[in-house]
Amino acid sequence: MYQIVSDGGCDFSPEEVKKSGVAVVPFYVSFDQQTYMKEGVDITKEVYFERLMSEKTLFPKTSQPTPQDYIDVLKPFLDEGKDIFLFTISSKLSGSFASTVIAKDMLSEDYPDRKIELIDSFNVSIGQGLILREIVKMRDAGYSLEKTVEETAKVIKSTHVYFTLNTLEYLKRGGRIGPTTALVGGILGLSPILQVENGEVSQLDNVRGRKRALQLIEAAMVDALKDDLENINMSIGHIVSEEDAIAFKANTEAALSIKIPNPITEIGVTVGSHAGPGALAFAYCKKYDKVS
Amino acid sequence: MDNIFYGVSNWFILAQVLGVITIFFEFWTYQVKDKAKFFLISAISSFFWMTMFVSIGIATGISTQISLIVAASYSTVRNSVFAVTFRKNTMQSKEGGLIFLLVMIVVALVAGTLAVINTPPQVRWLHILGMITSITFVVCQYLPGVHYVRAAVVAYAAVVLLTQSPINILEGYGIERWNIMGMMIESSKIISVIVFYVRFAKNPDKPQLQFAKP
Repeated sequence: MYQIVSDGGCDFSPEEVKKSGVAVVPFYVSFDQQTYMKEGVDITKEVYFERLMSEKTLFPKTSQPTPQDYIDVLKPFLDEGKDIFLFTISSKLSGSFASTVIAKDMLSEDYPDRKIELIDSFNVSIGQGLILREIVKMRDAGYSLEKTVEETAKVIKSTHVYFTLNTLEYLKRGGRIGPTTALVGGILGLSPILQVENGEVSQLDNVRGRKRALQLIEAAMVDALKDDLENINMSIGHIVSEEDAIAFKANTEAALSIKIPNPITEIGVTVGSHAGPGALAFAYCKKYDKVS
Repeated sequence: MDNIFYGVSNWFILAQVLGVITIFFEFWTYQVKDKAKFFLISAISSFFWMTMFVSIGIATGISTQISLIVAASYSTVRNSVFAVTFRKNTMQSKEGGLIFLLVMIVVALVAGTLAVINTPPQVRWLHILGMITSITFVVCQYLPGVHYVRAAVVAYAAVVLLTQSPINILEGYGIERWNIMGMMIESSKIISVIVFYVRFAKNPDKPQLQFAKP
């Protein structure tokens, strides 16, 4: 038996953490670059986003879990004699994976007989969460640690994440776009459609108007998934935009004639600082038993 | 350059060849969906368009063509900058491209206003329309998607056609203002847009935005 551990990039809700038995190592967030708070422990997503929306010049910094944070979480499981499946946000977006490498090195001396598998999700937020759900299913199906690692690599390859933003304001605050681009994009009502590709976030398209963006996403999704519906799993996420997410989920289910079993995810700080309130995200991957 | 055909300057003949090349590239431009490629082909087209006016200028006197040479050069530079902007697709390149676009609009507004003031009152409406459609076209070039730029180029080409066709003669310009090659170039843009939508209509199931298969 092995223990699944993930960093907070998976954006699992407290209920899902409890239900799945995954141990989550949270990210840090700071508004003043002096006091760092653990997401979900010292500060909730609601408080975080409320502050982000109310303070117009604020750009909070996020920071990955330290190697010691990982050691603190892993040690009790290793003491119980469990091996570890350690899953992280894309190494191209955060230093979380680097922290796990250091933690593993330090722990390997004390626990030479235990296996610690480090897996880079090459993903973030609902994409990472979606893969994590497949990992949980593999564990529940009795897959060995080695088999889970092997199949997870295939699930990761099949995962795609797309999201659209409601405003360019937070990309500007984070220095991802310039002030002229934000100003003109705001005047023209541009809604960028972004994707996670090879572990990095890139722009797929730029559309005028949120409604149009959602229509295009829905059409693109139907086109991409219509022939493979029984083999895939999907997830929808949002940032302070639950009503839109519920409507989007209903439209998607109607368009594809399916039920999306996964709960709607509240996206956390790792993506939230840059995407900002109003963002909607959609992810899909192949089911673990359909990847081979 | 010495005459090859009796009474016709070789530079004038070269201008016709460059005009035909321009027609080819103009047509190609509006068949392309990818923005970076669109601007690259458009820049090549503008370059040949500019050299066409230079050739005519050498044949007939450069002063008669100078405003067109400047306009075509402006178009070549603008399309080249946008081609680089969209090819690089970075935060810095987009910001730079956008600032360049805004500067270009201001320059076009000032130059256009000055040009309009100097036109005969009876055709001033046409030149104002020309200025509005040309600026709209430049803005639409930068907008996302494939439709804005195509709608704008049809409006712009239609106005340019009016300035080089019997409408102007009716307004008092005279037959010497006819520009057959100019009319063909503008017509090629409109035809290209029509062909694009005929092709587009043949693939109605293909969404504008495409996601990867799982």
